[in-house]
Amino acid sequence: MVLPPLCALLVVLATWEAWVQLRDVKAYLLPAPSAVAVALAAEPGRFLEGARVSLGHALGGLAVGTGAAFVLAVVMAHSRPLERAIYPLAILVKVTPVVAVAPLLIIWFGFGPVPKVLVAALITFFPMLVNAVTGLRSIDPSAFDFLRALNASRWQIFWKLRVYAALPYILAALRISIPLSLVGAVVSEWMSGDGGMGQIILIDNGEFDTAGLFGAVTVLAVIGVVLTALVAYIERRVLFWHESSAGL
Amino acid sequence: MHEYASAAGSVRALDDVSLAVAEGEFVSLVGPSGCGKTTLLRAAAGLLPSKPASLRVFGRSPDEARADRTMGLVTQDPGLLPWRSVADNVALTSEVTGSRVDVAALLARVGIERFAAFHPGELSGGMRQRVALARALAHRPRLLLMDEPFGALDELSREDLRLELLRIWERDRVSVLFVTHSIREAVLLSDRVVVMSPSPGRIVADVRVDLPRPRFLAMESEPAFAALVSVVRAALGGARPVGLSA
Repeated sequence: MVLPPLCALLVVLATWEAWVQLRDVKAYLLPAPSAVAVALAAEPGRFLEGARVSLGHALGGLAVGTGAAFVLAVVMAHSRPLERAIYPLAILVKVTPVVAVAPLLIIWFGFGPVPKVLVAALITFFPMLVNAVTGLRSIDPSAFDFLRALNASRWQIFWKLRVYAALPYILAALRISIPLSLVGAVVSEWMSGDGGMGQIILIDNGEFDTAGLFGAVTVLAVIGVVLTALVAYIERRVLFWHESSAGL
Repeated sequence: MHEYASAAGSVRALDDVSLAVAEGEFVSLVGPSGCGKTTLLRAAAGLLPSKPASLRVFGRSPDEARADRTMGLVTQDPGLLPWRSVADNVALTSEVTGSRVDVAALLARVGIERFAAFHPGELSGGMRQRVALARALAHRPRLLLMDEPFGALDELSREDLRLELLRIWERDRVSVLFVTHSIREAVLLSDRVVVMSPSPGRIVADVRVDLPRPRFLAMESEPAFAALVSVVRAALGGARPVGLSA
């Protein structure tokens, strides 16, 4: 049901609008929702272009980060020694603040899209790694025994059993990683100019254009909601057999 | 770990266990928990990391027998793939082994042809076990290994499945090694009931069941059946630690 949350959102927006109008709040402190809408409508091209660039950084990073994490997870799920070797390094990547690494990436890879994609990749890497290792290991032992008794190859066991067993975990990791990838994109866009929502925020902030700032935040929120809803939709379609889908 | 046998050879496992299953013979293993009957079965299936050199299935090592897809396995937890339909679960065997499988005919054989498009989550425990049986038989194994296959079912489903298994086995005469806790189940189904004792796991009795075939549930009330149950129970009593035997 989308109606109840939609109603709640409308109530919040109406209260906000009324508060700003009635108390005559300064526009540079808190613009009314209507002012934000006006700011968005004034420069649709600017916000759409920013969204396109940021979405590219975020999704590119998501693909690189979660893709690399999944490949490593496959290796780790098949070998305890390799898992023990790789895991501490993965933790190191996780605990190091990505923001601290971003300037280094800019030095190495310049002001183009590469460091932004890499920041988003770094931030999405760990949730996928941990979830995928757990998922690839979470196979039904009886199904595993049956396949082994049939002399199934590792390859067959991987594609017919492990990948499906890991799907709920992989999709859960995507739900975590998608908002993180947007964080990575925006933060890296703050640091070096190459367009994107991060740049828009930086410029509007400098100009005290608070309505534009809110417009950028709104665009990012919409992107986040749409991507998360997309994963939820995929979960419902793909995981019909899993107990988690009973509650969706 | 030594020998356990089947038709062309013997299969041995555990401490001084020597057991031969003839071609087309139905042999049950009964014994208290921890006597090693499941270990014996898993060793025969080639599922254990340690490979006793003298373990033989049809004259070869379990790994060789496994490589030839000689065996089919049914366990207490059916281990079906919940994302696949019933028909696709049975087709899994042909995907792995490359053998041609008539899924519809197999489903009909275990009485679930109407449920081909269902998913395991929509089926009762008994139905799921039928799917597991069809899946294990799909590549026409010479030896069917069954580890307490009906242990988690309610009594009515269990009786249904015992009968179903009897009908299938009487037609195909595949060799069966059947691990169970139920003495009556063992006697009803088997040509021989092998009784094991725990620590160290060894065979304490090998009871030939000479009841006529085809078998029926009604046989359980016959004196001959009761006599065989008593023989097996007595052997099991001797297999238990002294303080616990009643």
